[in-house]
Amino acid sequence: MNKLILILILSTQSLFASIDNKLDIKIKKLDWNGINVVFLEDNTFPTYDIAFYFADGALSDGTYKGLTQSMFNLIDSGTRRFNQKEISDNLEFYGTSYGAHVTHEYSSFEISGLSKDIIPTMKQVCHLFSDATFPRKEVGKYKVRKKNSLNNLVNSHGALIQRTFRELSLTGSPYAYPVGGKLKDLKKVTSKRLKEKRLYFNSKVKKRIYITGPSDILRIRNIIIEECGWSGEKASFVRSVKYPKISRDKTDIFLITVPKANQAQVMMGRLLNHDEITRPALLSFSSGFLGGGFTSLLMRAVRTNGGLTYSISAFAGGQKEYGRSGVATFTKNESLEKLIETINNTIESVRLDKFPEESLERARGHLKGSYLFGFERSDAFLSQLMMLDHEGKSYQELYDFPKKLESIKKEEVINSIVDLFSWNKQVLVVLGNEKLKKSLQKFGHVKEVSYKSFL
Amino acid sequence: MFIFRLLMIIFIIVSCSTAPKKAKVKNNSEILNLNVKKVVLENGLRVIIYENNKLPIFSYYTFFDVGGRYESREDGTTGATHFLEHMMFKGAKKYGPGKFDSMIEGNGGSTNAYTTFDSTVYYESLPIKSLNTIIDLEADRMQNLLLMPDAFEKERKVVFEERKYRYENRPSGKLFLKMMQTVFEGTPYGGSVIGEVEDLKALTRDQMMQFFKRFYVPNNAVVVIAGDVNADDVIEEMKDKFGEIPFSKELAKIKSSRDNIDLYEHRFSKDINISLHGSSPVPMFSMAYKGVPLGHRKAYVMDILSSILGDGQSSYFVQKYVKSKKPVLNRISVGNYNLKYNGVFFLNGELLKGVSLKRFKANLKKDIKKVCDQALDSRNLQKTKNQYMFGFYNAIKTNAGVASFLGTRENFFGDYSYYKKEIDIYKSIQFDELKQVCQEVFNDERVFISLWNKHSK
Repeated sequence: MNKLILILILSTQSLFASIDNKLDIKIKKLDWNGINVVFLEDNTFPTYDIAFYFADGALSDGTYKGLTQSMFNLIDSGTRRFNQKEISDNLEFYGTSYGAHVTHEYSSFEISGLSKDIIPTMKQVCHLFSDATFPRKEVGKYKVRKKNSLNNLVNSHGALIQRTFRELSLTGSPYAYPVGGKLKDLKKVTSKRLKEKRLYFNSKVKKRIYITGPSDILRIRNIIIEECGWSGEKASFVRSVKYPKISRDKTDIFLITVPKANQAQVMMGRLLNHDEITRPALLSFSSGFLGGGFTSLLMRAVRTNGGLTYSISAFAGGQKEYGRSGVATFTKNESLEKLIETINNTIESVRLDKFPEESLERARGHLKGSYLFGFERSDAFLSQLMMLDHEGKSYQELYDFPKKLESIKKEEVINSIVDLFSWNKQVLVVLGNEKLKKSLQKFGHVKEVSYKSFL
Repeated sequence: MFIFRLLMIIFIIVSCSTAPKKAKVKNNSEILNLNVKKVVLENGLRVIIYENNKLPIFSYYTFFDVGGRYESREDGTTGATHFLEHMMFKGAKKYGPGKFDSMIEGNGGSTNAYTTFDSTVYYESLPIKSLNTIIDLEADRMQNLLLMPDAFEKERKVVFEERKYRYENRPSGKLFLKMMQTVFEGTPYGGSVIGEVEDLKALTRDQMMQFFKRFYVPNNAVVVIAGDVNADDVIEEMKDKFGEIPFSKELAKIKSSRDNIDLYEHRFSKDINISLHGSSPVPMFSMAYKGVPLGHRKAYVMDILSSILGDGQSSYFVQKYVKSKKPVLNRISVGNYNLKYNGVFFLNGELLKGVSLKRFKANLKKDIKKVCDQALDSRNLQKTKNQYMFGFYNAIKTNAGVASFLGTRENFFGDYSYYKKEIDIYKSIQFDELKQVCQEVFNDERVFISLWNKHSK
């Protein structure tokens, strides 16, 4: 076993000196049959967290949309030896929690449990990856459930606007289509294709493994190598996407109609091209200043001073090849117009540099201080390391974050907010009653679409 | 009650461990002997400190023993406690409007609160350098809340938006609200924590101030601080900042009139069926049975019962209705919600399109009659205990988790270490008792509520 012990060098800033004194962060990088393993030792509790990272995601689906997510979701639906009931019963008997997360760019499968039971659990998990047969009956039932879930999305307006907003704001990029596919794609999900997908992920796609817990859990090494059968040499594919830069110079307004809503869900934002996500600290600072927490500019303007909503937030960030920025909120039907005006006025006040200086420093202080909490749970810390690896960045980025934050100038934040959130670059999506169209028309042409088009 | 479930199992599990002998598993007492110090100030404020020096951060929780149970439809006060919770962030004498959250967020912290029928809980997490300021700030708002008229009116609108978001535009919220109101009709739990629209519209600032003065007193509160602290220093600081706040002489009398356990007894005694109109394109349902109060032995047995029936892919009802050869449900879950003076045991689910609601309801009632014979066995009992154990560790992985864990027990049982007794209870639960409780729970006194867009308005 080639073992490289990497003790991270911590920043000399006072904040980090204090972490250095308090936390002995030991990250081991191991090589298991050519697969990179990142191990974060944590002896606080007799538990473990493991994440299998796969360097491909829904973009591998081609015309069979949703297949990757279905494959991971159905990995426990049956093997040649066990049926779905036996599999879930075996894993749950150990108190194991497991599940997959599929994005366009990458996928992960996460397992947590009691460290004393890690051996039988991992044997079972490896058995699933090497032998899942996706029985036809189980696939059929899954499709029925999935169809119902999509049709019932109308029961959750918050989830529904997330789905519609994603598709509309990322139009023209490879990331617009839902990771899990749509209703029309379900017929293409078959047992045979799911098996092929599993084989593809097992044999072609590059993997990394992230583990945290007591050191004796590294006993799973041989199980991973022999029973999962994974090899770093043979499986090396890493998803990479090239797409033409998308520029926006006008606002597109969509009204997604749902029956009998007495509240309007609102999201506005846009896709960030690869060259716009190179400064994550600036994106976090800008979006946090505008709409992070109870003291952000938008929260003060829209909730505290306006009483227009219960919640409003702004976000901006990226993965490896693309990013997203936006504002998300809701209000009663009667105040939609005022809400949009207030958001735009707030952004305009930033452009004109008409905001209290202390609010900017407060946002900076918030990000700087809250950064510490990212180390509190080892599994959350490990997730950050996984994202850095995915984006091809050094772990030093994590430790440099406060320093970078400190160096960001006010003008940079203003320019960033104007660039990210200016009205003329946005896709505005409102989900609610059809009567909202009248209010929206005051802001431009409104395209009215039924929510069913997005299912 | 979920957290409660998690803790207790520890002893049992270790004895049933499948771990190889070499595995280094910490023993129970090591895990459970949390480094805690408790003092009661002269004014009755209970202060609990947990030292954790892993990172220079801390979490601060305040539990007030006041919730929706002290409101009523009759006097038009539903929603007052929750509304007051919002106003607690709107300024006090020393730290005026905008100062509270500015101070917290500007120093890298986060803050929020929640209200239930039984409690109102405020919490914040920050880097350790802000500890003394937080103590000062919390002492200020416990005694000097402003309730500025302008902020009061704006926040009233915010509460209406929250109500729409959580209940009016969300069928699951609407269904839950109706279930609680039906199961606890005629009891102090029969209102709604978010409040009725008419009551919220009519609530005055003076009413809220009266409510605040009545219940936000040190002898009605528990403070838990967990993190990179020195317990003795923190206790001194707490005495300095909170020690002079007068205790309430009237509190016990006020509470005794509302905390009479007889008031909370379930009033329904038959099979109630309700059809609710809502936007869901397929029927959603809740089937509720009489539960028991928090802390009763039976409550812990019912926790295990609910998990065996509805937690996880291998649970009985998930296998029977969702994963079976001919599934009829898209999802199902089972809950055991224990409040301070009573409880409810319920099933929640969503039918697949095309499944007859009438037929499903009839089959469900028939299946329930056999459930105690078919669903329970010693393996399922052990599986549930294993799941709780893992959940327990997960729940106390952060300072906030520990503070919530200890404070909940102190608030409800007057003893932060009550979990030790709970563990004993869980340890002792055996198959026969589980089966007996199952038979007691599933009787003909129940409430079935369905919500569907095809039900008449």
